[in-house]
Amino acid sequence: MQFEPQLTKRFNIENSYTLNVALQHGAYASLPKLFSKKPEEVIEEIKISGLKGRGGAGFPCGMKWSFIPKNSTKPIYLVVNGDEGEPGTFSDRAILSKDPHLLLEGVIAAAYAIQAHVAYIYVRGEFFREIQILNQAVEEAKNSGYLGSKIQGSDFQLEVFIHQGAGAYICGEETGLLESLEGKKGQPRIKPPFPAIQGLFGCPTIVNNVKTLSSVPWIIANGGAAYAAIGTKDSTGTHIFGLSGHVQNGGYWELPFGMPMLEFIETYGRGVKNGKLKAVIPGGSSTPVLTAQECEDLTLSYESMAKHGTFLGTGGAIVINDQTDMPQILKNLTHFYAHESCGQCTPCREGTAWENRLLQKIIQGEATARELDLMVEIAGNMEGKTICALAAACAMPVRSFIKKFRGEFEKYLKPSGVTVGIQL
Amino acid sequence: MTIKIKINDQPLEVPEGINILEAALGNQIPLEHFCYHRYLPVAGNCRTCMVELEGPRGRALTIACNTKVTEGMVIYTNSPGAQTAQKSALEFLLLDHPLDCPICDKAGECKLQDNYMKYGLYDSERMVPRYFKGGKDLSIGEHIILDQERCVLCTRCIRFVDEVTETSELGIIHRGHESTLTTFPGKALDNAYSGNTTDICPVGALTLKEFRFKQRVWFLKKTESICTKCARGCNLWIEQNRETVFRLMPRENPEINRTWICNEGRMSFNEINDHRIVKSQLYGQVDDLGSMVEKIQNILEGVEKEKILGIASPWATLEDNFILRKLFKNRWNLDHLVSLLPPLGESDSILRLPQKYPNGVGLQVLEIPELSKSIIEKLNDRHFEVLLVMENEFWQFASLELQQSLFTIKHIIVLTTHQSDVFQKIEAVFPVRAFAEKYGTLINAMGYLQKINPAINSYPEIVESSIFIARLAQKMKIPGFEFETPVEVFNALSQEQSIFPKIRFHQIPSHGLFIPLDTNGVAPAPFSGHQKVDNVFVRGHQFK
Repeated sequence: MQFEPQLTKRFNIENSYTLNVALQHGAYASLPKLFSKKPEEVIEEIKISGLKGRGGAGFPCGMKWSFIPKNSTKPIYLVVNGDEGEPGTFSDRAILSKDPHLLLEGVIAAAYAIQAHVAYIYVRGEFFREIQILNQAVEEAKNSGYLGSKIQGSDFQLEVFIHQGAGAYICGEETGLLESLEGKKGQPRIKPPFPAIQGLFGCPTIVNNVKTLSSVPWIIANGGAAYAAIGTKDSTGTHIFGLSGHVQNGGYWELPFGMPMLEFIETYGRGVKNGKLKAVIPGGSSTPVLTAQECEDLTLSYESMAKHGTFLGTGGAIVINDQTDMPQILKNLTHFYAHESCGQCTPCREGTAWENRLLQKIIQGEATARELDLMVEIAGNMEGKTICALAAACAMPVRSFIKKFRGEFEKYLKPSGVTVGIQL
Repeated sequence: MTIKIKINDQPLEVPEGINILEAALGNQIPLEHFCYHRYLPVAGNCRTCMVELEGPRGRALTIACNTKVTEGMVIYTNSPGAQTAQKSALEFLLLDHPLDCPICDKAGECKLQDNYMKYGLYDSERMVPRYFKGGKDLSIGEHIILDQERCVLCTRCIRFVDEVTETSELGIIHRGHESTLTTFPGKALDNAYSGNTTDICPVGALTLKEFRFKQRVWFLKKTESICTKCARGCNLWIEQNRETVFRLMPRENPEINRTWICNEGRMSFNEINDHRIVKSQLYGQVDDLGSMVEKIQNILEGVEKEKILGIASPWATLEDNFILRKLFKNRWNLDHLVSLLPPLGESDSILRLPQKYPNGVGLQVLEIPELSKSIIEKLNDRHFEVLLVMENEFWQFASLELQQSLFTIKHIIVLTTHQSDVFQKIEAVFPVRAFAEKYGTLINAMGYLQKINPAINSYPEIVESSIFIARLAQKMKIPGFEFETPVEVFNALSQEQSIFPKIRFHQIPSHGLFIPLDTNGVAPAPFSGHQKVDNVFVRGHQFK
C-alpha cells in the first residue's frame, strides 16, 4: 500500500535513535511551525485531524487536551504513557528504541498545546534498553536546545523526566500510572475528578500514549486536514499494527487505517502458521475474540471493530490457528488478569481470580455446565462495575470465548445429564 | 440550599452537595455499603452502593458514595440493574469469607451479615475450593487483634489512620485476591485512637482485645451517655448486660466527636464495674448507714457556720454541685465551697483535651471557685472542723502538703464511688452512684450541655450525691431540698441559673445543647480532626 510513513519513517536508518542521525532525517522539523501557532490553534489542528488515543480506549486526543482548565493557577503536567503491558502489543517499544526523538517532538508539541512545562515519560519497568536510549535522547535534546528553556528560540520551556515503572500492568491505566508516578501503590483512582482537572500531584494533567504523541509532529507539519484524509472517515491517520501468534511472520507495520484484517494477515504476516485461521484477538488480549468467519469483512479501523462487537484496542492482533485449544488460551488470559488485578475493587479482585479458578476446574474435567454458565454470569457482574476497565478487560474475553467457542469448553465438562444454556 | 431529586420515583428535597448515599440513607431508603464512612474520604472500592442514574443514554450504573446529587437527578436503588450489581458485589465479598460467625465477635452487628439478609439472599455457589489467606488472630497492637481472612479490604481502617490520626500504621500488601491487610513492618497499631478501627471495621477483621469473646452483641443494651475522661465530653453508648458494662462505644455527634473516641475513654468501662464502694464506711470499716447518717447529721448541725469546708467536683454532675452549693448557700458560708482540679494531662488536636474531667465548665457556671490561697491559709491555721468532700478523690492528685492539711481536719465526710486505701483516715465515707448509674448533666469545654442516663442499676440502695445531700438537708430541716431525683434537681436548676434556657431535663437533645458561655473559663475547642466534612445530613440518621 502506498502512503507516506509517519511513525516508522526513521526506523530502518542506522542509529536513528541518536540526535544527529534523526536531525538529518527530519526530526524536530515541525517545531518552527508549532511555535508560530497559538496553543489553542494547535489543539484545534489536532481536533481537525481526528487523532484518537492509541492506548486502547480511542478517546479523541484534541478533545482531551481541551479539558485542561483555562487560566489554571496550578502547574499543568503532561504524562506520557509508555507502560506498554497489553499482551500482544509491542509497537510503543519500537518507537522508544528506534525513534525516541519522534516521541520527544510530539511531547514538545503536546506540552506546548496544553501549556505544560514539565513532562513525565512513564516507561514500563522491563524496558531496560529502551529507557537507556530514551535517557540518552533526552540528554542530547537538552544539550542541543530542543528541551529546557527557550526551546529553539521560542519562549517555551519544557523539562522532561523519565520514570521507570516497576512492572505492573495496571500502571498502564492512566490514573494508576499517576499514583505510581507519585510514588504510591499503583491503584487506579476513583473518577471524578478526572486527571485533566486533578491529576498528577493534584494538578491538571494530560496522559497520552506514546503512539498518540508520536503522531502529533506529522499533523503539526502537514496540517490536521491532511491527516484526516488518510485512513477512513472515523479512523484517521496511520497506526502501527502488530501481528503475533500463529502467523508465519510476526511483527509490526505502520499502515493507514482501513486495511482488511485477512489481507493484513496474508500480506504482512504471510499467512497462518501450522493450520487454518480459527480466531483473532484483534487489539491486545482484552478485546473480545473474533472467529475466522467474522474476520472476513473486518478492517483495521475503529468503526469496523465496533461493528463486530470488539475494539481496535492497541492494534496488536493475536492470530489463533485451528490446532489451538481455546479454553487453554482463556486460562492463560484469566490467569494474567487475576495476577494483575490491583485488588482495589471487589468485583475485579475476587472475580478475576474466581474466573481463573473455575476455568482450571473445567480444564481438569471436574466441572459441569453450571460452572461454565457461572463464568459468564461472573463476567457480567464484573464488567462496568469497577473503578477502572481491568475487570472489563477480563470479562470481555471470557464472555466472547465462551459464547463463540462454547463447544470446545463443553468437551471438558463432566457428562452430567442436562446442560443448561443461558442467554448470552 | 436544597435541591429536588427523585429516588425510586419518590420525589425528595435534599441539601445541595451531599452524595447519593447520604441522600438515600437520610430519607430512610436502604442502600448497601461497606467502604463509605461519613467522616472518612471516599474510597469507592467496595462497589456495593451501586445505583442506576437516568441519563441521556439510558440508565447507567454508578456508585452512590462518590456521586453528588444534582438538581433533577433521577436515581434508582431498587431497579433490576442496580440490585444485580449490589447483590453480585456482595457475592464477591463473601466469596472467600470464612463462615466463622459463630465465633466472631462482630456477629450481630456485621455489615456482611446485615447486608446479606437485606440485599443478598442468593444461593451460595462458589463451585471451587475456598481460598485461604492470612492469619486469624494476629495481635497488631495493644488493644487490637487482626483476622486477615475476615477482612473485606474496604480500607476504612487505613483511611482512619491516614487521615484522622495521621499515624499510618496500616496498609494492604499484595495484589488481586491475595491482597491482605497488615501493619507496616516494625509498626504496631498503637495510637491513642486505635480502638476506633474496630468500630469502623464493617466485619470482624479488627476486634478489640478487651471485648473479644466477652459478650454477644445482641445481649447488650445501649444507653446514651457521655465520656467523663476529659472536658471534650465525647458522646457514648454504654453497652451493658445484666448490670455489667461490657464496652463503651462512640455515639455520633458531628460537632463534638464525630464517630470517634480515644482509647482512654473507651477503656474506662472497667472503672464502672470494678472497685466500687457500695456500703458506708466508718474509718474504713463497713458500718450501718442509718446510724452513720445520724452521726453525721449531728456533726453538721453542731458545727459552727464558718468552720465547714466543702469540696465540689469537676467529675460530679451539675445537679450534684448545684445541691452542694445550695446547702452551703443556705446553711453555711458559700465562700468555703471550693473545687479541686487535677493537673493538666495529655492532649492532642483530635479529641483529647488536657482537662481530665468532664464538668469543669459546670463548676464555673455555678461559680464555684478553685481552692484559693485564703482557704489554704485558713487550712494551715486549722480553722476548719468539718470537711465535706463530694466525688472528688483529691488524694489521688493533690500535693502531699495539701493532703496533709486536709486530713488534719477533725471530721471528714466523703461521698464517693470507688474504693481507696485512704478511707482509714476518713471518718465517714458514703457510697453514691457513678456516672453510668444516674441521670445528670455536664457542660463540656465547647459549651455543650449534655445529659447522662443510667445504664445500669447494680446498687439500687444507693443514691446520687445530689439526692444524698438533699435528704441530709431535709433531715436537718433545711427548706428547699424536696427533691427525689436528679431530674427534679435539674429542672429547678434551669429555672434558677440565668445562663440556661428555661428547659426541662427531657428537653435536652441527645446530641447536646449549645450554651453561649461568656465565662472566662476553658476556651471552646472546636473539632479539629483533620478531615473536613461538608454538607452531611447531620441529624438524618445515626451513621454506623
